Amino acid sequence: MTTAAPLEVRSLSKRFAIGNAFRRAHVHAVDDVSFELRPGKITALVGESGSGKSTVARLLARLHDPSEGAVLFEGSDVSGVRRRRDVLHYRSQVQMIFQDPFGSLNPVKTVRHHIERPLRIHRIVPPAQIEERVHDLLRTVGLVPPAEIAAKYPYELSGGQQQRVAIARALAVEPKVFLADEPISMLDVSIRIGILNLMLRLKEERGIAFLYVTHDLASARYVADDILVMYAGQIVERGPIEQVLSAPLHPYTRLLLAAVPDPATKLQAQRIEMRKGLASAAVDPSEGCRFVTRCPLAIDVCSRVTPPLVEAQPEQAARCHVTAPSN
Amino acid sequence: MSQLDPTLDPALDVSLPATPRRVGGRLRVPGWLALLLGNPKSRTGLVMVGFMVIVALIAPLISVAHPNDFNLLAVRQAPSWNHLFGTTDQGSDIFSQVVLGARRSLLLGAAAGLLATGVAAILGITAAYAGGIVDDVVNFLINVFLTIPPIPLLVVVSGYLKNRGMGTMIVVLAVVLWAFEARILRGQALSLKNRDFIQAAKVAGESTWRIVFGELVPNMISRIAAAFVLVFYIALLTDAGLEFLGLGDMSKTSWGVTLYWAQVNSTVLQGEWWPFFFPGAALAFTVLGLVLILAGIDEVSNPRLRSERTKRRRLVGMLLGGRLVARPEASA
Amino acid sequence: MTSLVEEPSVTRTRQATLLELRQLVVEYGSGDKRARAVDGVDLAIHEGEIVGLAGESGCGKTTIANAVMQILRPPGRIAGGSILFEGESLVGKSTEELRRFRWRNVSMVLQSAMNALNPVMRVGDQFVDAMRAHERIDRRRALARAGELLELVGIDRRRARAYPHELSGGMRQRVIIAMALSLKPELIIMDEPTTALDVVVQREIMQQIDALKRDFGFAVLFITHDLSLLLEFADRIAIMYAGEIVETASAERLGTNPQHPYTQGLLQSFPPLTGPLTRLTGIPGSPPDLRDPPSGCRFNPRCPYCVPEQSGLYLRQTTERPLLRTVEPGHEVACHLVEGAE
Repeated sequence: MTTAAPLEVRSLSKRFAIGNAFRRAHVHAVDDVSFELRPGKITALVGESGSGKSTVARLLARLHDPSEGAVLFEGSDVSGVRRRRDVLHYRSQVQMIFQDPFGSLNPVKTVRHHIERPLRIHRIVPPAQIEERVHDLLRTVGLVPPAEIAAKYPYELSGGQQQRVAIARALAVEPKVFLADEPISMLDVSIRIGILNLMLRLKEERGIAFLYVTHDLASARYVADDILVMYAGQIVERGPIEQVLSAPLHPYTRLLLAAVPDPATKLQAQRIEMRKGLASAAVDPSEGCRFVTRCPLAIDVCSRVTPPLVEAQPEQAARCHVTAPSN
Repeated sequence: MSQLDPTLDPALDVSLPATPRRVGGRLRVPGWLALLLGNPKSRTGLVMVGFMVIVALIAPLISVAHPNDFNLLAVRQAPSWNHLFGTTDQGSDIFSQVVLGARRSLLLGAAAGLLATGVAAILGITAAYAGGIVDDVVNFLINVFLTIPPIPLLVVVSGYLKNRGMGTMIVVLAVVLWAFEARILRGQALSLKNRDFIQAAKVAGESTWRIVFGELVPNMISRIAAAFVLVFYIALLTDAGLEFLGLGDMSKTSWGVTLYWAQVNSTVLQGEWWPFFFPGAALAFTVLGLVLILAGIDEVSNPRLRSERTKRRRLVGMLLGGRLVARPEASA
Repeated sequence: MTSLVEEPSVTRTRQATLLELRQLVVEYGSGDKRARAVDGVDLAIHEGEIVGLAGESGCGKTTIANAVMQILRPPGRIAGGSILFEGESLVGKSTEELRRFRWRNVSMVLQSAMNALNPVMRVGDQFVDAMRAHERIDRRRALARAGELLELVGIDRRRARAYPHELSGGMRQRVIIAMALSLKPELIIMDEPTTALDVVVQREIMQQIDALKRDFGFAVLFITHDLSLLLEFADRIAIMYAGEIVETASAERLGTNPQHPYTQGLLQSFPPLTGPLTRLTGIPGSPPDLRDPPSGCRFNPRCPYCVPEQSGLYLRQTTERPLLRTVEPGHEVACHLVEGAE
């Protein structure tokens, strides 16, 4: 029996209204996004700021409701679900950590409080065992001695430690899906690897399905199995990460790859041609490819018809008339 | 020393000393009270307010005369041994008035403060967090109450309240003053609502109630306490006016009433400072004490301020002989 | 395709030293809360070169920038050493001399400077303001110069009439860079100029800076935590840790032959985009509290080569501060392990 993927997203869209009653426009933050997260695999969601990637994570965390499309959890659509019992069940399976480690902790509460709350809300263990479980979780994320750490306030911890507390909190409910929204971008460089290694360990030991949202291709390559590249609210390329990074189809992916400073390729650094343009999600977008103003490969059809996501290579799909034509 | 094995996940490197666990000495003192006692400003404030409360409690024991006693032989007397604070134009003893008046004034201020702040906090913060129609309704209410001029509002409300006396005044003050604070607290809650830790609490599964009262409010204690002090102060100032409008009971004495009569009789113009000074000083003293307590409350709601005063707390502990103040102990 | 890298500078002619820091010490606080954010730093920047200063939060790199511009905020103060610009000490200068020095000889692009633009003034007017504060120039000419500078950084000169919020983050940062150029300084200090920007915009801006440098010949002190960026763009790189410089070398050499364990650890913290993928370790632990730094080599608690078993070396590592020694011309390291080679 094939089990449904723990979390699947189908044609997910989210529009935000901007302007006032007289001049209303809509930002298409997320537009027709579909993918699934598989157990024991890390999927990287890569894009620039404004691409919609954080909105996708928040949609999956049910912090927003989608404008269209479905979020399927264990096969059934949860987007409309309102009953507390069902919402709580979802939250016990899908957890999230945020970009700002300090901001994601309540400054007036101790570490213990943060980790205790989910244990109590979801009744993971009986009250007598809570202290023990809090210490276990702290040990799991590498924060020792746990008794000392549990008594601290967020401001007493370093950024890396704060993020580990956030991870411990998310792990408390023993989730199947873990959403990580730029978890390392605000941390010191030498600490980032530690957090990434922790994610890898959790994936391997517990079979959790991860969504790793980032703008940093290099860290995505380090942890992820699959990659989804987002531009202006749409997925423009997806596939196994090594494959996509070694032979990218979409011009935007190629642009990203060329732009990242890579110490290993210093001596072959090439000046890349870049047209002007913003990567932010389109406001009331018209038909046609959203990358067309910046694309070196653009042909006539690109400004008229929105390219569909087409699997041009085995398991690798791109949204481009030129490199992944749909006939 | 390289005690950290790089093949393990990089573990903790605690460079800060652990916060000493606070355990009571002779008396078990709750954490927040220990903090307030530890901060010199709030300690002073507590003493000042405490003093006033004690005065109010023992008032019948120390006042020499009934405050409304007439004594036409002793009108307008400057402070003397017989009349510590002097007498009014009708010969009433001002000391008794101040000391017994403390009861009504403190009660009025505290009750009005609690009621107004309570309503403002609950409505304002819940509206901010819940958003949507709840927010729209509450916002509308706030705007209505803010734009209605207070005096006509008082007159209308007093028309509905048949009883006269303390209860009426408390309700009226709360009705007039809640909207101002509600708007401010709503604003602060709005800015906190989108912080990641609130979103994280939501993702953890916390209910709306628990988020509002367990996560948001603790971060707003400073502002809520300040709201209370403001209402307290305004209540005491407008006390006399309210009584005069017929909402209270002019026969009972309070600082506001004493001040009112002092003003009406133009005592200062006649060089008689004491009917103004003493009740005014009592009021100022109390409010000053409350404001000083606010300084300590900042520490309760911002843990970062606490560690800078660990040293001083130990000193205080020594001074008070380690009895009332929690003694810091090495952590477990 | 034009190569971004200049020809290897093996036979570079000796250029004039523009800025020199000698044993600079910057302290914060007093009493037992005193911390040395910068503790005995030597650094030299020559005409026309891009010097990168890399380190993590708390290492003191921003403090150095503030010290050079003499904008340290109390309780920070220069407690020792000297800062020489073209041979003259900056520390003794009067306020008036400093005002002329700032922006004309050395200008600065701060972190998130794009948020430092006055939101209620048009961009062109802010240029005029900055220029007129430092030289006598009439408004029309100043505006004309502003237009030229905007074009230089790749912004249409008509956008001088725009307000800051009408421009994107990348464009605002370019405006700041243009303003930093307006008086043709000899040295520009850039403190994390591209950190808040997307990687594509970052590359555009770096390319722009490179091109401008060719045209104008200014030197750059580029401060960042992103070592990979420096390896691509800088001529020389200095690595800072806990208030000290632990290694200096040309960018090529640092990338291929790093000597200091911290540099090695840092380089190990950047997962590669190409090539084989191995499990990295980063650097365990965290930077020390500068109020009470470890004795001896400040990196010793985190150093994989500092083990009690090697008792002789261990003793030195925990009691003696290593000095910067030359390993090769142009390559200096402050490490007990490296000294041992002599």
